[in-house]
Amino acid sequence: MTTKKATRKLTIARAMAEAIAQEMRIDPRVFVMGEDIGPLGGVFGTTRGLITEFGTERVRDTPISETAFIGAAVGAASDGMRPIVELMFVDFFGVCMDAIYNLMAKNTYFSGGKVRVPMVLMTSTGGGYSDAGQHSQCLYGTFAHLPGMKVVVPSNAYDAKGLMTAAIRDDNPVVYMYHKSLQGMGWLGTEKGATVAVPEESYTVEIGKAAVVRKGNDVSLVSLGAGVHHCLRAAEVLQKEGFSAEVLDLRSLVPLDREAVRASVGRTGRLIVVDEDYHSYGVSGEIIATVVEHNHTCLKAAPKRVAYPDIPIPFARPMEQWALPSADKIVDAFRQMMLNQ
Amino acid sequence: MQIAIVIPADLWEDDSEAVITAWLFNNGDEVDKGDLLAEVMVEKAQYEIVAPSAGILTIIKHEDEVVIKGAIIATLDA
Amino acid sequence: MKPTAEQRLWMYRNMVLSRYLETRIESIYMEGKTPVFNMASGPIPGEMHLSNGQEPCAVGVCAHLTAEDVVTATHRPHHIAVAKGVELDAMVAEIFGKATGLSGGHGGHMHLFDARVNFACSGIVGQGLGPAVGAALSRKLQGKSGVAVAFMGEGAANQGAFHESLNLAAVWKLPVVFVIEDNGWGISVAKQACTAVPNNHLRAAAYGMPGVHVPDNDVDGIFAAAGEAIANARKGLGPTLLEIETFRLAGHFMGDAEDYRPAGEKEGLQQRDPIPRYRRQLLDAGLLDENSDAALVNEAQARVETAIRFAQKSEFLSPEAALDAVFV
Repeated sequence: MTTKKATRKLTIARAMAEAIAQEMRIDPRVFVMGEDIGPLGGVFGTTRGLITEFGTERVRDTPISETAFIGAAVGAASDGMRPIVELMFVDFFGVCMDAIYNLMAKNTYFSGGKVRVPMVLMTSTGGGYSDAGQHSQCLYGTFAHLPGMKVVVPSNAYDAKGLMTAAIRDDNPVVYMYHKSLQGMGWLGTEKGATVAVPEESYTVEIGKAAVVRKGNDVSLVSLGAGVHHCLRAAEVLQKEGFSAEVLDLRSLVPLDREAVRASVGRTGRLIVVDEDYHSYGVSGEIIATVVEHNHTCLKAAPKRVAYPDIPIPFARPMEQWALPSADKIVDAFRQMMLNQ
Repeated sequence: MQIAIVIPADLWEDDSEAVITAWLFNNGDEVDKGDLLAEVMVEKAQYEIVAPSAGILTIIKHEDEVVIKGAIIATLDA
Repeated sequence: MKPTAEQRLWMYRNMVLSRYLETRIESIYMEGKTPVFNMASGPIPGEMHLSNGQEPCAVGVCAHLTAEDVVTATHRPHHIAVAKGVELDAMVAEIFGKATGLSGGHGGHMHLFDARVNFACSGIVGQGLGPAVGAALSRKLQGKSGVAVAFMGEGAANQGAFHESLNLAAVWKLPVVFVIEDNGWGISVAKQACTAVPNNHLRAAAYGMPGVHVPDNDVDGIFAAAGEAIANARKGLGPTLLEIETFRLAGHFMGDAEDYRPAGEKEGLQQRDPIPRYRRQLLDAGLLDENSDAALVNEAQARVETAIRFAQKSEFLSPEAALDAVFV
């Protein structure tokens, strides 16, 4: 009997770069633009190796001109190309949001579906390492709220590669939001659970489909990105206390897999949403509304959210760590929920 | 035949210590020559450790362990 | 415009102090980050952008400013904050994130605010320019004196806010000076790879204002050019774009491997370190001798050590203080 060769693991950074490279090999219309994505390979490793393989025509370092190059991506995509652009930190969206939400997201609609904008906007999110208020945000709600752009948020390298391939092949604009603590950059401290086995061949993960990453009966822990790993840790703790928690990884915000959320909470009767983005007017409220407006009678307890408070992100470590979601907070939320029941 | 996977002496310039930030295969996995086995970090720079031949991997130095140039971090049994 | 002896010594002293501060911050920043460089670890976590080599830009400009004048700066602010007279103990405490910091630890190294001396900085490229224009407008509307100075890197000259802010300042003829610290690199991208003109001062013509280039990281040259620009602003003659050729002796951020720099570039820059160079000029001019220099250096270092000890001994605000200061 021969040993089956193991599937290698990849970090999310490598998975993203591999997906992009594989698509660039088969489709000459795919090209990449952004700051420091050339020889540096991206500050977060998302374009490692691309310029060596594909050259400077298809892998373009840009000036610090987000409005120009993201606007340019919209124009190129409308003209038959399939650009991938990187917005280095999602926090920088302020300088270029018109190109994103008024052009990229709306041109297809304004043209009655005739103009396609097949571009991927990839951007880094997340804090927890003291990068302060303009370099640590998630802003999931901001991008999910505005119509016309798909939004994906991988929690692990397998999904990261599949979602990137799906995003590139999608004829719609896709905002690909990757969390810095999952990337595998080493100098940021990486969530170990994000580096997983990734097939060598090309494959897609369907955009708009959530995944149950841990089955359970007593509570649905719903999250995305780094939050999924906090939920898994909380589930381990709860298991030792005799409770089984189901963890649902949303993977996409737009389209949102509302059915999966409703099905999970329909089974468990309890919902805790974990979201590193700001508490109010965002993802956590949307998930709760998704359940309650559909069928509030399935709930054994009022839903809870473990989300970032409505404050700019503080620099000092004690303050920042206090504000962030964590497995402890999720466990506490569940205990409160059981007490109040 | 057993081959040692060693941090190459010329992988980075000075004598700084490095840390293994990721193993991309598990202990006991069969790997091919040229497979990317591990990532090693010196300050903020990442370096790659590649399999010199095919074989079954036995990990000696694990993730988050500090290593120096010349350290044996694993073995490959062909 | 030539600096007086007193001004030259002031500039030298501030460069010595801010360089020593950066050297100490660098070493404290690395505590807890070796051998494993995890940005979140140690007494100064997060990113760190040091100003080593760019000190002449700060002192040459700020020598002409008072506490009343407004300065906005960038993610690389320390040398400018020192030269502007930001309270040193509180500034260092803020870099450490302590309760005694300028913002009680809410802001950190990229978000230093000192209203006493009208200093603020921000981490988003180009975004200090609008506020500087606004401060200048405010002074004009209130009939108050004072100019505004916006510092930026050469990369910011490719950002939309640059073009809008210069145009607006010129249209309204505001007392604002735009200062580009051209260190040649935007993280890993060389200026010439991303800028359509050989030098950014040429762009001033597009905005109807003087554009002045100061080569070679020369303290007195910067002093002269800044002096004229600031004097013109005070006289109501409107804005100026000042482009200062400088260099950074360290990476973009702490831990930057700098593989993008051509071989030998860094070593070459060390040879041209502006501080020993200016020291030599002052010695030659008889404004300094070995003894007075040693005394000056010791005093500056002692001042920095006092600030560091203050920061180290200070407590953090309680974690719940994260909720404070959202609104007033």
